[in-house]
Amino acid sequence: MIHAAFTSNPEFKRNLWLSFSTHRLIAMPALLGLFLLAIALHNPEKTVSNLYQSAITFFIFIVWLWGARNANATIVDELRDKTWDQQRMSALGPWAMTWGKLFGATAFNWYGGVICLLVMMFSGIADEQPYWLTDLLSLTFAGILLHAALIALNLHTSQLEMRLIQRGGIGWIAIIFALIALRSVVTGLITNSDSVTWWNAEIESRQFLLGSLLLFAACAVFAAWRVMSNALQVRTLPWAWPSFALILAVYFTGLFHSDGDTPLYMLGHVGLYIALLMSYITLFTEPNTQLNWNRLRLRQQTGDWRGWLEHLPLWPTTLLLAFCFALLATLSQSFWMAHSKLPDIFSLPFSLALMLLRDAAILLFFSFSAKTRQPAALAILSLVVINLVLPLYCRIGGLDLLSYFFMPLDDKYGAVASLMVMLTHVAIALGLVAWRLGKSRQP
Amino acid sequence: MIEISNLTFDYPGQRALDNVSLTVAEGSVTALVGPNGAGKTTLMRCIAGLETPLSGSIEVAGMNVIEQPREVHRIMGYLSDFFGLYQELTVAQCLEYAAASQGLPAGRIAEAIQQTAAQLDLTGRLQQASGSLSRGLRQRVAVGQAIIHQPKVLLLDEPASGLDPEARAHLATLFRELQARGMTLLVSSHILAELDEYSTHLLALRNGRVLESRALSAPATLDGHRSLHISLAAPDARLADWLKQQAKIISKNVSADFADIDFQGDLAAQAALLSNLIKSGFAVASFAEHKENLQQSYLRSVAQHLEKTA
Repeated sequence: MIHAAFTSNPEFKRNLWLSFSTHRLIAMPALLGLFLLAIALHNPEKTVSNLYQSAITFFIFIVWLWGARNANATIVDELRDKTWDQQRMSALGPWAMTWGKLFGATAFNWYGGVICLLVMMFSGIADEQPYWLTDLLSLTFAGILLHAALIALNLHTSQLEMRLIQRGGIGWIAIIFALIALRSVVTGLITNSDSVTWWNAEIESRQFLLGSLLLFAACAVFAAWRVMSNALQVRTLPWAWPSFALILAVYFTGLFHSDGDTPLYMLGHVGLYIALLMSYITLFTEPNTQLNWNRLRLRQQTGDWRGWLEHLPLWPTTLLLAFCFALLATLSQSFWMAHSKLPDIFSLPFSLALMLLRDAAILLFFSFSAKTRQPAALAILSLVVINLVLPLYCRIGGLDLLSYFFMPLDDKYGAVASLMVMLTHVAIALGLVAWRLGKSRQP
Repeated sequence: MIEISNLTFDYPGQRALDNVSLTVAEGSVTALVGPNGAGKTTLMRCIAGLETPLSGSIEVAGMNVIEQPREVHRIMGYLSDFFGLYQELTVAQCLEYAAASQGLPAGRIAEAIQQTAAQLDLTGRLQQASGSLSRGLRQRVAVGQAIIHQPKVLLLDEPASGLDPEARAHLATLFRELQARGMTLLVSSHILAELDEYSTHLLALRNGRVLESRALSAPATLDGHRSLHISLAAPDARLADWLKQQAKIISKNVSADFADIDFQGDLAAQAALLSNLIKSGFAVASFAEHKENLQQSYLRSVAQHLEKTA
């Protein structure tokens, strides 16, 4: 039955054709066996524990690193070889296409990975390793998380005509960051402490890591399916991205939350920063041309609100969420003022949300020009000048008030003044967008 | 079979399709012609559900392409101008993947592969890696992938580019066979002579607008316009002046021994014209309707369009 389910997916089957040959089927266990035997013979006194550690190392190399390379290439290669249109023209549904690619492109890596996991299991039992099952599952979920996240990332950025993306470069940057993050999390959770406090509950570190990896692996697979749906022109309503922001907010608030804080105050602040980060990521990785916004305008004019939501970019959803979290953070401010010694910048939630709105408007201003080739690069340059260079020069020149006008995220004039200045920024940026729209309407 | 209404598609700073409305008849072979940048590929990609238009609607066999793209794909085949093949797969594997991914039942796939390979003269190459094939053979495999599931509608963007004359003739025969089986084909090409061999309809695009859309067997205009070719047995210097004096005639190309003219009138008027020529002492050797080929038809459409917009 499992065999039938797997071979009935043409995308999975195609990947198996490409990944497996008799030679490779024999080579993987033979080479792994040779390496593991050499390790076992190297130190006969610690054979079993060495095998356990080596199996983990081989798994990380074969599934996490090599598998990530293959998962990263699965979309990039289709685009490069011009076979992506054929796939988009097929009658395969988004889910079949997603799991066909996720487990098909990495099938050979999982073949080697399963051998490593079997060695881990037997040596773990023989060595009486108390955490062998937790480790085994954590490694597996981390592999799935990495592969699914790379597929989602490449699909999400496939519409951008950047060489870095077309060559899979953005995936490699993500792989490096992901491996550094995984290493830090493993070191932080397992090596340095036995337990984690999450929403005031003491959870054993390895169990917490396993749970976290399971949660994020599920989120990554879901994300890959959602982005695949859009790539296959199966339109979806934009609830998943803000829902993921909410999940992250609850997850991280649970880590930072302590008995002395109110959960809502923490949730408001953590949620705001997560919504800001997620908005900036999508703002600069989604196409924001005037064409996209014209589609929305036409759907709004015809009252096609479902179509309007289906074509809405992701970043406005987390922008809206950022304002909701800013409201929550502001309402819980009175409690926080009495207890916290956090830097001033954190006391201005609405100013931060408005800054995101201003920056989005600046990007749209450049994107709505048909002549601008690199609107995202120009927007980033402008933001660096507005947020860093100009305030710095003003301070050097002793013009503190002018510096505050450029960067009003300072509590010395109060939250209301910060809000007023940031509202002025937003008004100017939105005015520029309106001017650009009027000037460069499509024929 | 294909109904398009008010389709508009924009690229940054440029309108690729401007309020395009058209109908493609079931069982027809429509030649999609136009200069580079006319919007041919964009139109095909919109029909295929690969691009989302700014506005307008596209229906294929009664299904809305924008709302039900996956359902439409089951009855549609598309060969892109810049197609790709899985280089490491054999021809048989490429065809099997295409058949299965288009929803063909597992039990029918083997038969479909053999049938398609036979149609495209690929039977002897089924076990060859597609990456090792010549450009022409690769093109045939790509066509095979597009037709293996016996789609009702087949969209072909420059299907014959890179093919040798023999392969082109083979392809023309194949398209005629597919049409005979009831398939609707929309074919774009720059080589109009090639389209002439199998097209039943003409769809001309220019600057994202429909210049002309009609059946090729139907008269080009409703007022009885026809092209006539007159040749004389011996040169006669009076011919050009004589033709100028006749009503309902526009001379296009006249010399002392032949004339190509646009004539507006019914068959009785045409008979009267022949009679007058003979009565006037011209040694008429031949007097025949000259059927417009696709290239002439297209160029005339362009000339009329330019005249109107001038």
